[in-house]
Amino acid sequence: MLLNRNRRGAQFYILAAITAAVMVYLLVPLFFLIVLSFNESRWLAFPPPGWTTRWFEELFTNPSWLASIVNSIKIGFVVMVFSLLLGVPTSFALVRGKFPGKTALNAFFTSPLIVPVIIIAVALYGLALTFGLAGTFTAFIVAHLIVALPFAIICISSSLMTFDESLEKAAMICGASKLGAIWRITLPSIRPGIFAGGLFAFLISWDEVVLAIFMATPALQTLPVKIWVTLRADLSPVIAAASTLLIVATMAIVLLVLALRRPQAER
Amino acid sequence: MTQTLVKNRTAQSADQPTLLEVRNLTKRYGEVRAVANVSLEVKQGELVSFLGPSGSGKTTTLNMIAGFDEPTEGDILIGGKAIQGVSPHKRDIGMVFQRYTLFPHLTVFENVAFPLTVRGVGKAEIAERVRAALKLIRLESYDERRPSQLSGGQQQRVALARAFIYEPKLLLMDEPLGALDKKLREEIQIEIRRIHERLGVTIVYVTHDQEEALRLSDRIAVFNHGRIVQVGTGIELYEHPANAFVASFVGNSNFLSGRIVESQSGTSKVQLAGGDTIVAPARPELGVGSAISLMFRPERAILRRAGEAQAHENRIPGRLLESVYLGESVSHTLMTADGVEISIKQSSGGEHGLGLGFTGDAEVCWRRDQTHLFPADAN
Repeated sequence: MLLNRNRRGAQFYILAAITAAVMVYLLVPLFFLIVLSFNESRWLAFPPPGWTTRWFEELFTNPSWLASIVNSIKIGFVVMVFSLLLGVPTSFALVRGKFPGKTALNAFFTSPLIVPVIIIAVALYGLALTFGLAGTFTAFIVAHLIVALPFAIICISSSLMTFDESLEKAAMICGASKLGAIWRITLPSIRPGIFAGGLFAFLISWDEVVLAIFMATPALQTLPVKIWVTLRADLSPVIAAASTLLIVATMAIVLLVLALRRPQAER
Repeated sequence: MTQTLVKNRTAQSADQPTLLEVRNLTKRYGEVRAVANVSLEVKQGELVSFLGPSGSGKTTTLNMIAGFDEPTEGDILIGGKAIQGVSPHKRDIGMVFQRYTLFPHLTVFENVAFPLTVRGVGKAEIAERVRAALKLIRLESYDERRPSQLSGGQQQRVALARAFIYEPKLLLMDEPLGALDKKLREEIQIEIRRIHERLGVTIVYVTHDQEEALRLSDRIAVFNHGRIVQVGTGIELYEHPANAFVASFVGNSNFLSGRIVESQSGTSKVQLAGGDTIVAPARPELGVGSAISLMFRPERAILRRAGEAQAHENRIPGRLLESVYLGESVSHTLMTADGVEISIKQSSGGEHGLGLGFTGDAEVCWRRDQTHLFPADAN
């Protein structure tokens, strides 16, 4: 009623103004960054004196930038795969299991969301040094898996919770074994949740910078680390281009997750 | 007509071999006995209903037959073989559930085909058998739809097809029509009977709806507090209820308490709490002096104006409180001198169909052989 378009009172305009202000507040920095990535000047000048795609060319031709992009994708992909391999069985245990301490275990699996990342980073760094893993691909995977797994578990668990278990019973009475019923009926039914969980896991790894800084070496950097390191040396517009790439990829994944969720909600 | 039909159906299955046998089945959850010492035989081709209130153990018994629950004690035999420890998917049983359990990501065709697919049946044969099954439930043209595009009634018909397509020996139905409205329920009840007769499959049907049980079943097992309290045809249960619970659960009934004062040549004379004397067929276990609960059916009694010629042996005077018109019948409420309310149901086309046109002094009368005696403390 407050937003009834036919009765546009003062309230409507006040709310519209507040909404617009919040949107501007959230989007303006990103807008500047995207504009700057097409900026012709050698410096981050605003307004841009002219337009160019030079910085993107450099981003995709400079071997060290390119390597960081490839690293981010590789690490994100492996983290996604492991998040699902571990997340699906964990979710079954947390949702279906009947055992003492289930609630505690549930809290434990989501604790990486609460513990400050810097603490996890310091702890992992120490551990990685001890085992001689510092700066390796494995160390990156292990670190990112810790923060990505809770997201995968939350997504998969919540769709498993809404899944009606009697469908599995029905499949069994139809002649499918327990595992057959899960494989043919349960997993396909919760597919949107599994996809969303996997994409979130990828996204967490793709965006993550704190753990990555600890795990990185000059030879093995992810895109956010490369941005960070470059930023400390100079203010090249390539950074803006890299950031734009990061934002666009992130948005694409988020939109994909939303698109996957919608058909599930309609059911 | 219904009577002959029921008799024929029963006669048909009487000489059939036993398909399902349940022996002394007990299920305990901690201290609670959900099912207590249930025994029952179901003949091949028979449709037996488990009728009872919720929590009476009927669904638990069904789940043990299906294999979703393990009995604490007792045996379940299908075709003479004990099936304890056999996983549900190897029991060769079909089941229709109360909730809609079609697989949402599969089409109607794929849903019905599922039991054949997991059994590795060839594609051509699957197509042929699914067509035939969909034809039987009259949903041939719906094969490409998703369950979400079907109504509740259609979904349960598809679930039915999915349950019988692989020709299981036994079909279990757990209140499959519970979520549907009355008209739709009756429609699908007819469908189930048709399929039962056509395929000759043995069906165990769980319901809490006595009308549904009467309409569908060859025999009905009435459950209460985890036990089977009576097994019989609908006619047997309604006309000769074994105890007060069956009398009150199957059909409507009037209960009056009293004491047997005399018993001879198969007839007991009962003194009611209100002072009136009633005659009833004697029951050997209820001797003179026994406290009893006396029952008669509202539609087997007649309402009379006070002082009018007596129609039947048993009568109780009272005051007519109200007459409610229900279309095909009229429901009268009579209050006796000691304050017991008695309901009387009369066909609206009958003599006093539209009521006596008065409230006030009246009497209810009914026949001796329509009077049932039960021990007072039962129920």
